[in-house]
Amino acid sequence: MNSSWLAEVFAVLRKEAVAEMRSRTAIFTAGLFSIMTVVAMSIATYNEKLSPSGYAGVFWVALLFSALIALPRTFTIEEEQGTSDLLRLTARPHAVFWGKAIYNLIQVWLAALALSVLFCAFAHLSISIPWLFAVAMIGSGAALAGAVTLCGALVAQAANRGALAATLALPLLVPLIWLGVAALRVAIGPMGPEFTSGGIQASIGLVCYGIAALAIGPYLFAAVWKNS
Amino acid sequence: MTNDSSSSSASVLGIVGKALLIVGIPAVTVWGFMVPPAEGFMQPDLARMLFFHLPCALGSSIFLMLAPYFALRNLRSKDHADGVAWDIRTVAATEIALVTGILTLVTGSLFSKVQWGEWWNWDPRQTSFLLVMLIVAAYFALRGALPDAERKAHNSGAYLLAAVLPIMFLIFVYPRLPQVATLHPNLLQKGGGLDANYRNVFLSTFVLVTGVTAWIYQLRVRAGLYELELELQNAELADRDRPAATGMVRPVSLPSDGG
Repeated sequence: MNSSWLAEVFAVLRKEAVAEMRSRTAIFTAGLFSIMTVVAMSIATYNEKLSPSGYAGVFWVALLFSALIALPRTFTIEEEQGTSDLLRLTARPHAVFWGKAIYNLIQVWLAALALSVLFCAFAHLSISIPWLFAVAMIGSGAALAGAVTLCGALVAQAANRGALAATLALPLLVPLIWLGVAALRVAIGPMGPEFTSGGIQASIGLVCYGIAALAIGPYLFAAVWKNS
Repeated sequence: MTNDSSSSSASVLGIVGKALLIVGIPAVTVWGFMVPPAEGFMQPDLARMLFFHLPCALGSSIFLMLAPYFALRNLRSKDHADGVAWDIRTVAATEIALVTGILTLVTGSLFSKVQWGEWWNWDPRQTSFLLVMLIVAAYFALRGALPDAERKAHNSGAYLLAAVLPIMFLIFVYPRLPQVATLHPNLLQKGGGLDANYRNVFLSTFVLVTGVTAWIYQLRVRAGLYELELELQNAELADRDRPAATGMVRPVSLPSDGG
């Protein structure tokens, strides 16, 4: 336990990345889910152009569910493979949380990028205010990563953990749907300049929620992890 | 001596409080029917449902504020028995929040049918309260899925603390946002629509509902602590019958008169 906190965070992050590169389970699952969402949406709205609110709603719900599928795995897999005790011995709780949360954050941002490209290429989505779209994605990613990482840790030792993680995380994340859709609707537009301030406010709300989720997560995680 | 006097004064207060509740509930019920029907409602007589609906919502919110505090005390507790006692308080507060929350949703749904013509019309305040109840239900789902008692207490407590921010947002912020159009009147703001008759009955029912839920909470915590004590005694008895491991000397209790 002589290593620095930052070194431990990077070690956990590297471990997650190497494990993912070996199995590629989360990348394939989230990627396939994104493609299927775009295909399903295109079939459901064949020959019809969605409104900005419609696009924003479908996009955010697709991002939410791809996060719920992929993110809790970072903790549940430790229990399935019996490596959680080793992790407890080699890294401090805060470092474990941050390592996994940063890994999940990168995963959500990649999923958001993939969904954006797929929506633009195949679902005729056009983005009017790209910077607002990017800020909304950054905030959404942080909030999703913080909340789902913690929920994954809470259910790691429970029965039926996959479904339970989504059951726990969904009610915590539903308030974000309102903020996410409000921000994306303006970013997708085109809407009048009078709506822009509402979109900016919603984006700031998303970023604040993300910061709060990532700030509180390590403390709650430490209280749970040491007693497991 | 001090403990004896404080416990006896607490029991006197408890008896007086319970007597007031027993007298107050029928009295306020009758008073509620004596106020004139509210004007501006589709069915003015049924506006009296407010006397039960709103105190239940406020009671649920109060217990939802208390439960995370108890969960925090449990997580910070160094002593095992103390931690278990805080967990019992957390569960009791969350259970009461769930029951009063469900009563709020049921009475709200009846009110919605009468006033707006739909059992459920996705009003922002109605929906946000449903989401809060889903968070509370998820808390119990997590407790049910964890086998170990200590893990159950810690993990569910951490979940409740993580849920504080969304609960606050859903109860206090979301329904009041200017972009959100709710059919619910904001009764807490100045000139919020309650006339003096209705306000007085509402305040009385709020005090009564708070009193009843506090009483139920107290009984639930006491039952939980007795249950815990019984479990510990049973474990001790079971342990007494078990043969000691090789090389281990068990303590033997001798009769007090010294034989």
